[in-house]
Amino acid sequence: MDILIYGTINSVTLALYAIGFAMVYGVSRLPNFAHGALYVVSGFITWSFLNSLGLNYLLSIILALIATAIIGALIYQFVLIRVRGMEISEIIASYAIGLAILEGFRWGGFKGLTYTLPAFIEGSVEIAGVSVDYQRLLVVGIGAAVVGLLWLFTRYTRIGLAMRGMAQDERAALMLGIDSDLIAVVAMGFGSMLAGLAAVLLLPLGNIVVEAGYNILILAIAVCIVGGLGSWMGAVLAAFLIGFAQILTVVYLGAHYQMVVALLAIILTLILRPSGLFGQQKELEERV
Amino acid sequence: MLEATGLMVFYENMLALNNISIRCGVNQIIGVFGANSAGKSTLMYTLSGIMQDIQKKEAMAGGERITLMGEVRYMGEDISGLKPSQRARKGIVLCPERRRIFNESSVLENLKIGGYLASSSEARNTLEYVFKIFPPLARLKKRIGGFLSGGEQQMLAIGRALMAQPKILLLDEPLMGLSPLMQAELILATKGICEEMKLSVIITEQYARPVLPIVDYAYILENGSAVMEGSKQELMDNPDVRSAYFGIEESYE
Ligand SMILES: Nc1ncnc2c1ncn2[C@@H]1O[C@H](COP(=O)(O)OP(=O)(O)O)[C@@H](O)[C@H]1O
Ligand SMILES: [Mg+2]
Repeated sequence: MDILIYGTINSVTLALYAIGFAMVYGVSRLPNFAHGALYVVSGFITWSFLNSLGLNYLLSIILALIATAIIGALIYQFVLIRVRGMEISEIIASYAIGLAILEGFRWGGFKGLTYTLPAFIEGSVEIAGVSVDYQRLLVVGIGAAVVGLLWLFTRYTRIGLAMRGMAQDERAALMLGIDSDLIAVVAMGFGSMLAGLAAVLLLPLGNIVVEAGYNILILAIAVCIVGGLGSWMGAVLAAFLIGFAQILTVVYLGAHYQMVVALLAIILTLILRPSGLFGQQKELEERV
Repeated sequence: MLEATGLMVFYENMLALNNISIRCGVNQIIGVFGANSAGKSTLMYTLSGIMQDIQKKEAMAGGERITLMGEVRYMGEDISGLKPSQRARKGIVLCPERRRIFNESSVLENLKIGGYLASSSEARNTLEYVFKIFPPLARLKKRIGGFLSGGEQQMLAIGRALMAQPKILLLDEPLMGLSPLMQAELILATKGICEEMKLSVIITEQYARPVLPIVDYAYILENGSAVMEGSKQELMDNPDVRSAYFGIEESYE
């Protein structure tokens, strides 16, 4: 039973880490290696609003999410747009931005145990004999809601449908009047906000530390590669696969091996099925 | 309505369009015929602005050097500098060669994505209209785009383009790979759309025969140059055209 409960929590956590990354890659084919940095940024912004400006917690969170979305959109509009379509340059540029942000925080002295966010609701509840705190329940609930809302968003709204079109065939989308530059910015803003949402949900369970930015990037990439790059539903399923694998490893081998699962998953997927479990290998279009 | 003058397109040093000028009036159907590699798709891309987008992306990635010259005017306005999304907003919508259906989306979703520019009432009305002229699409609403037959995909591609509320519909080789029966059906549908939705059509094909009956005026491209143009009757009467472009369907593709 513990395995089921902790596995679910861990899986939803991974899905939250990865879903923004998966979305940006899916829509714009942009591997956003600043994803982990945006996660940390959102945590520190929330902390600052809460502690330096003394705002109410919910308001701090909302403002931080908006700010993170704007930062993501600006990173795209001023830097990444220039290297659009060249994946290696996109990786280098976004990783460099991520490094600058994270190391900037470290340099600025944002480290140590002082930087924590309070849980939304203190306390815990017993489920089938396992004690689960409310924050983790919220993570699962909100995580599930995010996946559901995102699904609805991409199927029933104009912008969401445009994203789906662009993800499948950007040129065809252009012909239908979809402005790919605009949609790419919006997707990046959304993806950053999702990184921020993961942060405000999960950081209350620990400290805000710079290293989280690196770990989350690795986990997000692991999930997306296993799920098939570009398929965010695949990423959600992969999150469950890796999530449960990690918990099983922790139970039977020890916590030390948890990260190895993700790394092994990346390597095995790349060797055995490079397009991921659920990704379709795009056929090369023949030119006649 | 749409008037292009002196269009030149170079892929590196290869001349793909050589000083092409074409015009399309209100509610007209214009044909552009030419063999494989004549430059038909290049022309359609240039009119719809896709060529400018390809040029921009190639330049950014340090790929192919593409040079564009000439002017495209739409309703008297020079639109040569507009992005494809801006041209589509003005009513110039391309239904591309090989259809480019969104393969993972259902028929209905393909159409909804096509309705990006439409208001919700326009989208509703056009959807109804598309299902009326292409009944198979209504039946296959939930079918995934990638699983449709060629004919169904072509109907979907045209329907999806109509959802974008075009005033000029650019059809690039819509008959490619279709049976003669399906070809005839689509050509009839195209004529109907042009009349009922009050729009103009520019249609390209390798062979003129299936299309010529519905065109008002046509151009013939050879290696990027317009070697001939004229009204339907003029082209039909021309012996050179007859031999070269009334090819037999069996040899098609
Ligand atoms: N992206 C490209 N790069 C280089 N050459 C191209 C490209 N696209 C088309 N061409 C060439 O331009 C010519 C015209 O092509 P195209 O416009 O596709 O002709 P059509 O549609 O009439 O078959 C062909 O010789 C083709 O090989
Ligand atoms: Mg062509």
